[in-house]
Amino acid sequence: MTTQLHKTLHEDIHLFGGKDVDLCMNCGTCTVICPLAREEGGTFPRRIIRLIQTGQKRLLLKSLDPWLCYYCGDCSENCPRQANPAETMMASRRYLTSQYDWTGLARLFYNSALTEILAIVLVGLFVTALFVFLHGPMVLSTPVELNTFAPVKWVELGDWIMAAVLSFFLLTNAARMIWNTLDGKQMFRISPLIYGKAVPVFFDHMFTQRRSRQCGSARSRAFWLKHLLLVTGYLSMLVLVLILLRWFQTDTIYPIYNPQRLWGYYATIALLYPTGAFMISRWRKKEPIHFFSEASDWIFLVMLFLTALTGIMVSLARVNGFPMATYVIYVIHLSIAVPMLVVEVPFSKWSHLLYRPLALYLVSVKKAAAAIPLKTQPETATA
Amino acid sequence: MNTINNTQHEHPEPRVGVYICRCGGNISDVVDVERVADVSRHIPGVVVAKVHTFCCSDPGQNTISQDIQAEKLDRVVVASCSPFLHELTFRGAVQRGGLNPYLYEHVNIREQGSWAHKHDPAGATVKAIRMIAAAVGKLQYSTPLDQIRLPNHRKALVIGGGIAGMKVAADLAGRGIPVLLVESSGRLGGRLNQWNRVFPTDAPAGQLVTKLLAQLDENPLVEILLNCKVTAVTGFVGSFQVTIEGPIGPAGAKTSAQATIGAIVMATGFRPYVPDDGEFLYKKDPGVVTMPEFIDLMRGQQAAAGQLVYKGRTIRSIAFLHCVGSRQIDGVHTPRADGKINSYCSRVCCTTTLQQALAAKERFPSLQVYDLHQDIRTYGRGHEDYYVRAGKAGIVFFRYHGDEIPRVEPADDQRRGTPSLHITFKDYLTWGEELTLDVDMLVLAVGFMAGDIPDLINMFKLPVGEDRFIQEIHPKLRPVEISVNGVLLAGTVQGPMNIEETLNAAGAAAVKASAMFLKDVVELNPYVAQVDSDLCQGSGACVTQCEYDGAIALVETRVNGKSIRQAKVNPGLCVGCGACVAVCPTRAINLNGWRLDQYDAMVDGLTADIPAVAAATTG
Repeated sequence: MTTQLHKTLHEDIHLFGGKDVDLCMNCGTCTVICPLAREEGGTFPRRIIRLIQTGQKRLLLKSLDPWLCYYCGDCSENCPRQANPAETMMASRRYLTSQYDWTGLARLFYNSALTEILAIVLVGLFVTALFVFLHGPMVLSTPVELNTFAPVKWVELGDWIMAAVLSFFLLTNAARMIWNTLDGKQMFRISPLIYGKAVPVFFDHMFTQRRSRQCGSARSRAFWLKHLLLVTGYLSMLVLVLILLRWFQTDTIYPIYNPQRLWGYYATIALLYPTGAFMISRWRKKEPIHFFSEASDWIFLVMLFLTALTGIMVSLARVNGFPMATYVIYVIHLSIAVPMLVVEVPFSKWSHLLYRPLALYLVSVKKAAAAIPLKTQPETATA
Repeated sequence: MNTINNTQHEHPEPRVGVYICRCGGNISDVVDVERVADVSRHIPGVVVAKVHTFCCSDPGQNTISQDIQAEKLDRVVVASCSPFLHELTFRGAVQRGGLNPYLYEHVNIREQGSWAHKHDPAGATVKAIRMIAAAVGKLQYSTPLDQIRLPNHRKALVIGGGIAGMKVAADLAGRGIPVLLVESSGRLGGRLNQWNRVFPTDAPAGQLVTKLLAQLDENPLVEILLNCKVTAVTGFVGSFQVTIEGPIGPAGAKTSAQATIGAIVMATGFRPYVPDDGEFLYKKDPGVVTMPEFIDLMRGQQAAAGQLVYKGRTIRSIAFLHCVGSRQIDGVHTPRADGKINSYCSRVCCTTTLQQALAAKERFPSLQVYDLHQDIRTYGRGHEDYYVRAGKAGIVFFRYHGDEIPRVEPADDQRRGTPSLHITFKDYLTWGEELTLDVDMLVLAVGFMAGDIPDLINMFKLPVGEDRFIQEIHPKLRPVEISVNGVLLAGTVQGPMNIEETLNAAGAAAVKASAMFLKDVVELNPYVAQVDSDLCQGSGACVTQCEYDGAIALVETRVNGKSIRQAKVNPGLCVGCGACVAVCPTRAINLNGWRLDQYDAMVDGLTADIPAVAAATTG
């Protein structure tokens, strides 16, 4: 199929942080140096840069390559033109996120930090307002009665509504990603068996990011561990808040070794330590992945850090018997956590928690489908 | 007494000295040089046979010179490397010893011996002996020869008043040599008058012309003839008779002038390739232009205008297509009228394209600029900068394969203000993806075509290469000389060159021409045909056979009171090819230095039954 060139694509990518695309002369050093590209047939990052440079939007939207890169920075370090291929891959992930998103909000947020902050503030104020107007009685004696101030069943209901809304956006965006990358009609020709067999790939990569361990030498050994810690942290948070909230948000003060408290502390550390370390790294430009920071990167880290920080403060205030402090910090905690989730998960950086494993899943599906000679189009085989 | 021993009669038997070179092991590691010397002593006529580690060294040469005196040698053979390397060296040594330098034979037992037969030392040794025997045999019939000396007219003719011709004229006149500069148009400067700024300096092309013009103007030795053409030439190096016609006089009558010239420099330049009508829609769509046309239209653009406008259309996007008329492939490209394709690279177009694309982009920043190439060959100093800058300026590069020429079609949407051209090609920087590009303008980066100079080619017998350009003798060792003695090449008459290379070539041609005028005579090697008037019957077979106009002719001669027609050689024009020798029914023609009796003696030498040779073969 002939590809019509899209004259402004590289300018578009520029808005998403891919500022050095034009410097690339297509030598391919980046691709040669990348251990992951080698495994995938040796095309990215050069292919992605090429698609952007020349405006081959159709093929960029179809490509899963950006999601196969974990940003070790080896390519940027070895680029003879200082064209920053790694950052271009990052920018293309941001771009793809905005393209999968049908609401247009992702594009808006990525291109204007102010809009993103405004959205977070608005959602935050909405949550604050809910509590200001709808909170239960504030019992100021000890032990702190948080469940009287914010009854767990109402909070849980809010959680579920939020989860449903977010899932709706995230899943519809993911569907668009699948549609783009499997060429529409093509996706229906692949046998359900192939789709089914590849499912473990999705969860494997979602929980372990094992492929990032093959990354190049520019990445520190500890990065994968920190990121893994962060993943366990937010997964813990997700489980504790969405599924186990009735067990997690109690007025009873359990002993320190009780799993309820231990898990909570673990989640706190697993969120605070990596986000803190990543912020320092971004500030000091330590890891290659942190050399370039867009506003969206900072907002994500700061919000996650603050969520964990206010979370532990709620716990400390409650356990130590400061009722008023507990209630106020609890409201602040939710006024940070909710907007972070609402904005970041479907429309911004955090969406990679779904897109990345989904991409690896789709790669695996495509490979399996291509291995079956009949009924698959040659295009799938080359992708 | 004259020490030069020019006669065979002083010693009834020739006295030959044979010197065998070890070449520091290059020869002696394979050839048994001592045995060669031993056997050589048995060849009739050989008085001395010596081995030396380096015959070409001063001690080696001195041995030869001294032996000539001490042993009263009258012939010398050196068996060593290729004559290209040291034949002249040893001729000098022989001359210093008091012998005529042409009583010397050079035998190549290195390139044609030890190096060629590394794995057969015995065979190489026998071959060396036989070659020496042949040389000794030939020398028995050698006669002293002298260089042919002809008058040298101290005046140069430069044909073509482009940058190359101007440079040659300026250089020659600067060295005090009178120059006649003939230009067919009404203005000096040639192609440079067409260009605006030239790479890699980005200086205006006119500056170069102006500087050279000033040099020519201030030198009274330069005579410039505009609107003139060289219409006839006779003679040879040192004294060419040239007829120049023009300029057209006031009455419409052509004037014609004659000049006697010592050396001629061809600086007739090139032509830009002109695409066929319809080739990439050229001449079919107004948006398709060649590079010279583009340079011209850029010159006409308003300085203040924010947009590129051509023929009333605003150009928002522009594609440059490399290699139009260059690097053509047999079976892919349509041959020209002469049945040939242009398979060569024109060298200049890559940098020109990048320079022009960049200039357009810098002048009209909103312009979308695309570059379609096979390769980027920015080989010269400063050329690669254009490529780097083009990339940084946002010019988008595509790479097609030479056998999949991009297709250019009129765009589907022909409304005013929409791109008019639709280019489809496979981009090998994107793994062969088929892409389409809609642009307002397509610039064809046309290559070089040889100049249209059939008259000059016929007149001078210029050697034309497969690519139609005039061909030098050797691309590396003799880059500005051609097989026609006294005629030199300067610049793009010879092939695609940029301005720097053209000026280098012109400088080299000027130096070569100046060197010809260092002496007031022209010295030519004596290996030319000679007619034996006792034998010549005037058959004329030699004249028919001769490839070189005027080299041999039948003239009226009086022999024994009778007037007969006999062949006569013009040594200035004879190249010593020997074609006449082969066809003469009476064996009346011989080539000096390579006479038929010498060939016979060489064959005898090669096949002689030398006892020791047999021994060496079996040994």
